[in-house]
Amino acid sequence: MGDPITLRLWAGRGTYLLIACLIVFVRLLPLDSSPGDFAAPDLLLAVTLAWVVRRPEQVPPLLIVAVFLVCDLMFLRAPGLWTLIVLMATEFLRSRQGPTYDLPFPLEWALIALVLLAATLAESLLLWIFVVPKAPIGVALLNSLVTLLVYPAVVAALRFGFGLRRAMPGEVDAIGRRP
Amino acid sequence: MARDRQNSDEFVRPIRRLLIGGLALALIGLFLLWRIDSPRVERLRAALVDRVVPSFDWAMAPFTRLADMVDAAQSYASLYEQNQELRRELQQMRAWREAALQLEQKNARLLDLNNVRLDPQLTYVTGVVMADVGSPFRQSVLLNVGSRDGIRDGWATMDGLGLVGRISGVGEATSRVILLTDSNSRIPVTIQPSGQRALLAGDNSAAPPVEFLENPDLVRPGDRVVSSGDGGMFPADLLVGQVAQGADGRLRVRLAADYERLDFLRVLRSRPVPRIEDPGGLVAPPAPFDRPVPVPVPEPEVAAEPAEAGDG
Repeated sequence: MGDPITLRLWAGRGTYLLIACLIVFVRLLPLDSSPGDFAAPDLLLAVTLAWVVRRPEQVPPLLIVAVFLVCDLMFLRAPGLWTLIVLMATEFLRSRQGPTYDLPFPLEWALIALVLLAATLAESLLLWIFVVPKAPIGVALLNSLVTLLVYPAVVAALRFGFGLRRAMPGEVDAIGRRP
Repeated sequence: MARDRQNSDEFVRPIRRLLIGGLALALIGLFLLWRIDSPRVERLRAALVDRVVPSFDWAMAPFTRLADMVDAAQSYASLYEQNQELRRELQQMRAWREAALQLEQKNARLLDLNNVRLDPQLTYVTGVVMADVGSPFRQSVLLNVGSRDGIRDGWATMDGLGLVGRISGVGEATSRVILLTDSNSRIPVTIQPSGQRALLAGDNSAAPPVEFLENPDLVRPGDRVVSSGDGGMFPADLLVGQVAQGADGRLRVRLAADYERLDFLRVLRSRPVPRIEDPGGLVAPPAPFDRPVPVPVPEPEVAAEPAEAGDG
């Protein structure tokens, strides 16, 4: 428990949880209740995806599910659905860990674009199938486009603010696995 | 070392897959439960918000205050113009106030002359907006009054001037207000001078459109829009806003409530209006074939009948 790598693992998890709480907190502030002119980016999703691509071991599925489920319940979304889609998206990115290991950033961005598109379409489709009232698909797509546009900024902020980067080739954990 | 790693991978991978599958199933289950039995999950949601948001409250207060101060500081820049403008407005308002007072007295006199009974005065509970719990597609705020203050689902909520929304979801100490701009909000309204009935349907824009208008020709931009009280949920005659014509030619309502700064909200206690359900009994002595069992003592019956007949 005392070795630096395990310590950093838990520090990473703690930092992710802290950032998630901060994003939720800022969104809860009652500053302006009138509907905005353009769709706000889903910062929490951008942070989560960036984190999974870089340090998948620091954002275990249970943590992601807990964070997104609380958001689902708090922000009046259909409970469980968006969480499920995010879980699937992060598992997909996690399983591509080998190939994306040293993916250049533009390709990573394209991959994220695909994931966002698929997630938005899946959510709209499922809501439509279950006859849940939902936002028009154009607005949802615009929203994910804005999320995609802030993704590089989120990555840069995580890198320079919290030192989040991919594991170096030589890094191993206590039992010799690459994290 | 290498064998260790392989072993642990062999063990970890199936367990991991099981965990992911279990999580996914649980989430699907939650979604289906919500779809099938919405009120139960909504109660869970209200309980969660009730637990989580008040614990953020101490941290939110300084941020909200700070943002207000920044806003205020920006307005210092144009202090002089604002002051002049306010003076002019105040002058106009004085004239209006005088007119309103005179009209109120006149109205009271006329009502008294006609012996009109109006609705009993509405009472209200005032709450403070704690948090903005909407997503980009849902517009709602959270108030710090809940079921312990007697708040119920469906009650109307106003700021000082106009209608803001409707209570939907009540926790022990918090309650959620669905704003009129939310895409799920539908409010029956009357458009004032012409008396046209319509539905105000939120669509996530700042000015919700008017739907199901019977005769749009009778409605002009600038007309007052008030709640109509149809359906028995809302009290009638609460100010909603003014009709305006949108860029797309649809009639929309510019809301009277100040949505940019929702701070204190009034929740109107609306008592259920007593409904008239049956067509009313026949005003006559009960017919003899109504009674399956013959009445053993006929004397009082006979005594009562002439008395009623005499009344009529």
